[in-house]
Amino acid sequence: MSVLQSIVDGVALGAVYALVAVGLALVFGVMRLINFAHGELITAGGYTLALTAAFPKIASVTITVVVCIALALLMERVAFRPLRAASPTTTLVATFAVAFALQGVWLIAFGPEGRTADVLASLNQRVFEGDLDVRWITVTMLAVGGLLLGGTAFLLGRTTIGLQMRAAAADFRAARLLGVRADTVISFAFVLAGLLAAAVAILLTVQRPLVTPTFGLEVTILGLVGVVVGGIDRLGTATLGGFAIGFLTSVLGDALPADERVFLPSFVFLLVILVLLLRPAGLFARPSKTAVERV
Amino acid sequence: MTRARRFADGAVEFLVPACLIVLVGVVGGFMAPGTEEDFIAALVAVTIVIALHVFVGNSGVLSFGHISFVALGAFAAGLMTIPATVKPTLMPELFPFLAEHDVGNIPSLVLAAALGGLFAALVGIPLMRLSGLAAGIATLAVLEITHNVLRFWEKIGPGAKTLSLVPETTGLFQATVGALIAAAAAIAFRRSPPGRKLRASREDPPAAQAVGINIHRQRLLAFTISGALAGFAGGLMVHQLGSITTEQVYLDLTFLTLAMLVIGGASSLWGAVVGALLVSFLDSFLLNAENGTNVVVAELTLPNGSSIVILGVLLALMLILRSGGITGGREASLPFLRAALAAPPPPPGAGRAQDERPERTVLDV
Amino acid sequence: MSRPRTWAGRARRTGPRVTDPILEIEGLEVRYGPVPAVRGIDLRVGRGEIVGVIGPNGAGKSSTLHAVMGAVPVHGGEVRLRGVAITGGRPEDIVRAGVALVPEGRHIFAGLTVEDNLNLGLVGRRAGNGHQVDLAWIGGLFPVVEEFRSRPAGALSGGQQQQLAIARALLAGPDVLLLDEPSLGLAPTVVETVWDALRQIRDRGVTIVLVEQRAQITVALADRTYVLTGGRVRATLTPSDAHDTARLVAAYFGS
Repeated sequence: MSVLQSIVDGVALGAVYALVAVGLALVFGVMRLINFAHGELITAGGYTLALTAAFPKIASVTITVVVCIALALLMERVAFRPLRAASPTTTLVATFAVAFALQGVWLIAFGPEGRTADVLASLNQRVFEGDLDVRWITVTMLAVGGLLLGGTAFLLGRTTIGLQMRAAAADFRAARLLGVRADTVISFAFVLAGLLAAAVAILLTVQRPLVTPTFGLEVTILGLVGVVVGGIDRLGTATLGGFAIGFLTSVLGDALPADERVFLPSFVFLLVILVLLLRPAGLFARPSKTAVERV
Repeated sequence: MTRARRFADGAVEFLVPACLIVLVGVVGGFMAPGTEEDFIAALVAVTIVIALHVFVGNSGVLSFGHISFVALGAFAAGLMTIPATVKPTLMPELFPFLAEHDVGNIPSLVLAAALGGLFAALVGIPLMRLSGLAAGIATLAVLEITHNVLRFWEKIGPGAKTLSLVPETTGLFQATVGALIAAAAAIAFRRSPPGRKLRASREDPPAAQAVGINIHRQRLLAFTISGALAGFAGGLMVHQLGSITTEQVYLDLTFLTLAMLVIGGASSLWGAVVGALLVSFLDSFLLNAENGTNVVVAELTLPNGSSIVILGVLLALMLILRSGGITGGREASLPFLRAALAAPPPPPGAGRAQDERPERTVLDV
Repeated sequence: MSRPRTWAGRARRTGPRVTDPILEIEGLEVRYGPVPAVRGIDLRVGRGEIVGVIGPNGAGKSSTLHAVMGAVPVHGGEVRLRGVAITGGRPEDIVRAGVALVPEGRHIFAGLTVEDNLNLGLVGRRAGNGHQVDLAWIGGLFPVVEEFRSRPAGALSGGQQQQLAIARALLAGPDVLLLDEPSLGLAPTVVETVWDALRQIRDRGVTIVLVEQRAQITVALADRTYVLTGGRVRATLTPSDAHDTARLVAAYFGS
């Protein structure tokens, strides 16, 4: 496989993981909550696509977005609002619980075999003939990824609600004392997270049409790892971390000889450990600014 | 505190959970074979959760990776107790020294503990410098690596296939003794100087360092002991099931044991035992219900997966309502004994589970 | 009409009766876990007054302000704004009711620009009440804030940040401005600038509650100053007491 091919595929996967990272980082920013259950939003999106496969594509996609956002808001209202005063590690375990509970729900509702969601399978076709294998899905991943990331950046940087979210992320009490509504800002973060999760689900099902109860879990673990490795305190570094993990996973997978490819996760996670040891606050975080958790 | 009071406290802290463990073992003996299995499983769960508690409860650092030590112990003990005559046929790729030898039950458990401890020490040397989120992710990475290697490296095990034909040597007696050993180790460590230093570092890391406590060293010690106990528990587990797969010692078990620990109360042995027993029996009951079971008056068949949903909801509720768990993280104590020896009330920090102390204002998010 | 809650209250000197109170605190109790911070205090703030609250560290001054803002849970007593109880309200609602806090340590958003910080101040403004926020006047009060508009707020000096924090709080158009130790870490000349601004703010009709550790300058500025120690009001001082050291000491340490 050529280097260029590897890079193209890497960037595409990186874009998807960047979207996962943004969803995680937005919620962490306003709530200091690491949402392990973010993956269940993605799984929900996948199942919705599977169930609406017979509908026109636009309807299917729209319904998926609505479902993901609704589930995100429900999660916040029922499970996370009571945990607003807890520490990040407590909430991590709680979101872990919510994630597993939801996986059980998928198991009950849809069984372990999974459903097929081939709504946008047509995107698997090649864009042009030649040595470089670029499919429409790759182009879509890059386009959608870029659009959503850019949109989020614009939202945060240039709108009032975005300003409020940035303030809340920096200093929640001071923000509230100025009149920033906690509920509004947090709900908005979850709406965005739901939207991003839906996008990830839609993009992933093109190349992985089988949706099982653990569909979103693997992506979330890697996304979460990427966010922490990049630096969870800031949206920019978290997104970069997510992108880096996606890119690395893809490129490393191409680079490894065939019989060692099964050990790809081990290589990736070894690198993760290494990075965390050298830069526990995050690879891209500024070393002087952050409070390093090290003894 | 007088020596007598200290000793009495320690004795009570061990004896109360120990009696509960023994009670479970004894009652299990009167049960039908199917139910007896549930009791044995509960005791094995107790051992795993005690192992987890020794580290998480004392250090306040979350570890997602402990099941990798259980996995190592389970696969090692299981592999080495399969008769050498059968091994090569089951797993042709094995390293010769693994395929040609087998050991007895007790040696395999010792081996499991040793391997667990060794692996934990190796992993701990770099990792114990981390705290909080970084530690959680790093230990998760260890779990992922262990799972990946065990699943695909056919020179050391069955790979993706089930490791079967393991002699089922874990009966009620062995499971009970195993849990008791773990409990004794937990209390011994907790009351030892390293244990107390570690708990000091949990409450206030900078203050602990200021008085000369080497946090890294204390954590590493706890991690190693914890890893050894976890490996030992893995050995018990594989000999109870008679087989093991990599998926059985991966995320689901991580979630389950974490739930047990948190629901019971992470920072005390009593919490670990109570939580493990409660959740284990509940889980067994729910799993049986998924297959159709008699609940006193009616037939109850739950759909597959209900047990996970219910446990997940329970865990979330417990964290919301009472993050210290059922026991509030307090060790077992007998009130009259306490009063008789006039022990001082526990310090305010004793009730917290493994999370750091959040500020109390409404504003805090 | 409220009466003192305990026998001790009868002996307390609460100062002259305030005829048109805009903010009333009655029997306020605040606890952090088992630790009491405010043990039942009565404060009355009249419209257009500057009221000082002084006392040593841990006296409960900050807790009082935070209790008014709804930032800490109240365990007893009541807070009334224009006669209406606001106890236990949420900070974001209380801001919109017309009370703004300049917190201790300023808590400006260092990573955001000065302009962003100011825009955040507008978030809590009381729209639809006919309340116009006079941006020009606020800009005139603190010209340095205008000058640094597009710089990150973290680049400002301590004194400039304090001015930014006050400007930001004023942008919500409050009737009552609470300040928590604004002179902390500021050089005397800067303190004088801030004190001057406070006088102008009061002249504009905004009521001010000023919590400080520096007794003399506060007593000199305020119409009345409560002395808080150990979570209780011990005495009330007037500007004429500002240079009476013996009186100040007696007030602080009890007589």
